[in-house]
Amino acid sequence: MIRTLTLAVALSLGPAVVSDEEASLTGAQIFASTCGFCHQDGGRVAGRGPKLAGTDRPDDFLLNRIRVGKEGAMPAYGRAFSEAQLRALVAYIRSLKDDAR
Amino acid sequence: MTTKRGALYLARLALVALVATACSTSSTSQGGGSTGGSTGAMRTSMSEPAGAGNDWTTYHGSYQSWHYSPLTEINPDNVKRLKVAWVHHPGRSTRGLQSTPLVQDGVLYYTGSYSRVWALDAATGKPLWSYFPKLNDDLVAAQTHSPYTRGIALGHGKVYVGTVDGRLIAIDQKTGQPAWDTKLVNSEKLTVGFTGAPLLVKDKVIIGSQGGEWPGRGPIFGVDAASGRKVWEFLTVAGTEESKKTWGNDSWRTGGGGGWMAGGYDAETNTVWWGTGNPAPLYDWAGSEWKTTGPRPGDNLFTTAVIALDPDNGRLKFYHQELPHDAWDFDSAVGEFVMLERDGKKLVVHPNKGGHVFVYDRKDASVVNVWQLAKHINFVKGIDPKTGALIGRRDLPLGKHTNLCPAIAGGMSWNSGAYSPKTGLYYKIGQEWCMDLEVIKTTPVLEPQAQLDIGANFKLRNPEGDKAHGHLSARDPITGAKKWEVMFPEPPLASLLATGGNLVFVPDPRGMLRAYDAQSGKEVWSHNNGIGHNGGIISFAAKGKQYIAVATGWGSLVGDEFGELFGEPYKSMPKDAGALVVFTLE
Repeated sequence: MIRTLTLAVALSLGPAVVSDEEASLTGAQIFASTCGFCHQDGGRVAGRGPKLAGTDRPDDFLLNRIRVGKEGAMPAYGRAFSEAQLRALVAYIRSLKDDAR
Repeated sequence: MTTKRGALYLARLALVALVATACSTSSTSQGGGSTGGSTGAMRTSMSEPAGAGNDWTTYHGSYQSWHYSPLTEINPDNVKRLKVAWVHHPGRSTRGLQSTPLVQDGVLYYTGSYSRVWALDAATGKPLWSYFPKLNDDLVAAQTHSPYTRGIALGHGKVYVGTVDGRLIAIDQKTGQPAWDTKLVNSEKLTVGFTGAPLLVKDKVIIGSQGGEWPGRGPIFGVDAASGRKVWEFLTVAGTEESKKTWGNDSWRTGGGGGWMAGGYDAETNTVWWGTGNPAPLYDWAGSEWKTTGPRPGDNLFTTAVIALDPDNGRLKFYHQELPHDAWDFDSAVGEFVMLERDGKKLVVHPNKGGHVFVYDRKDASVVNVWQLAKHINFVKGIDPKTGALIGRRDLPLGKHTNLCPAIAGGMSWNSGAYSPKTGLYYKIGQEWCMDLEVIKTTPVLEPQAQLDIGANFKLRNPEGDKAHGHLSARDPITGAKKWEVMFPEPPLASLLATGGNLVFVPDPRGMLRAYDAQSGKEVWSHNNGIGHNGGIISFAAKGKQYIAVATGWGSLVGDEFGELFGEPYKSMPKDAGALVVFTLE
């Protein structure tokens, strides 16, 4: 499936052609497969993991945290996700409305 | 000494059915030398294993999963004098200490996070040896349900431990030197490894892989105890040709289903009972059309099931699937198989994560009764107590759903209850919480891969008209009739202990270890261990005294919910600490 998804993402997320909206839709699927287990309500509220909606962390921080994780708290997904998938996840996180703000 | 005699009498009672077939460790000669063996004072006769009743040699306390010690020295009248005897800090207790120690002939063995194994003098805590396996750190960093190790097995002069990177290791019980080290799971590909305890049955070490919501096939392994050679492997997902038909569209390739907790063993019929995990993805957008469409059409055998295996060859004897096509992550991985007899019938009691307790006939897993332990349950309207059939399933199609009960954390968790043959009561924790969720159509996973496969976003909440909480109840294990109940503001997440001294111990999440009168439910003692409990508790005797040993430390995936749901002390409770705390009468 990695192959399939990677291919699909690579096709749809080629560096020059992808819109933020498309990326966040793909990111939403990946998020619900894997990330929503801890970042609850799709990252909109705090649960096992912190709330992500409205985060003031820069993209580089988010990308790095997803890649390398945090011991005892968050798994490292650097092996599991392609660069395009990582970017799609960040696009999804950026698309979340922060109702508390 | 009366207490000793009492203990031995009870030990004989409790163990008489087991002795012939109990871990063959019993026949090995132990004690003496550097291991600081027991005095032998409590030995009953040459026909019984040394230390019967004094020791705790399997994860569930016995093959019958009673989590019961027949020792009587500590009782409701003198428990006020229970004080800390010694403490051991294993270090690097990432996600707390979740393990259950074992004791044999005056030596306590236990494992901490990262499968670090210790042997300590059971009376003093003095370290005898330790073994820290070298793990694949990159893999450990990529795991979600890690790096805790929940237990070990003992026998044939060895200590057996699984690792989170998919190995089973045997360590010489006296020297702490590794005897063999067998790679069983391709964890580099599948991410999952072993966190549960192995179960030793005769000459086989049996252990199940992690992997409910991971897209693998959840194998259970039988390994030769002497050589470490893999003898058999049973795939909990489509392990037979017949069961493959219960997975549409080849979804069996990635079905999940890991049986990650140690099960039980019925020596009379030479049957291993094991519980299996949920299918992947957890949530299924097919909703009520699940028989024909969605990511895993069909019943999905043998996920969320109890299976009976022949320990000699791993062949399936019979099974009962507790939740056909589990759409809620209410798996059967709970390893507790409480074996009892009533009215001439040999029964086994098994809690399901969804909040019901199943009672089976041990001869064929036919359903004898099903009773409800958790109060807030609406994923089904009920379960037929005569057949086990689900009544009024609440399947979850694409989109938003509110107040699904229980929450993903379950009406019960993996931690074990306890059964006392003295009171005839089963002591068990129930969890009351619900959740709102949105089921999302994700890309179907067709090949095993290194990530979770969930299929929904969710958040925990209070049940409608109630507050999330937990309870301890004492019940008839067959009928579920309640004798007494104690409410907890948050569900305790550790295993329980019942003793021949008429006590029930509950290690609670705030950090209090509490003792109750097993007959009345009256709290008779408590002690603050300073951090939540999320592991095991046992009792044993060494050098003529009874001890209670409990694992402390916080940070399991269920415990991680507590900060947002309950606030303090959980928001600030450390998740990288934990110790073994051992008590005795002063």
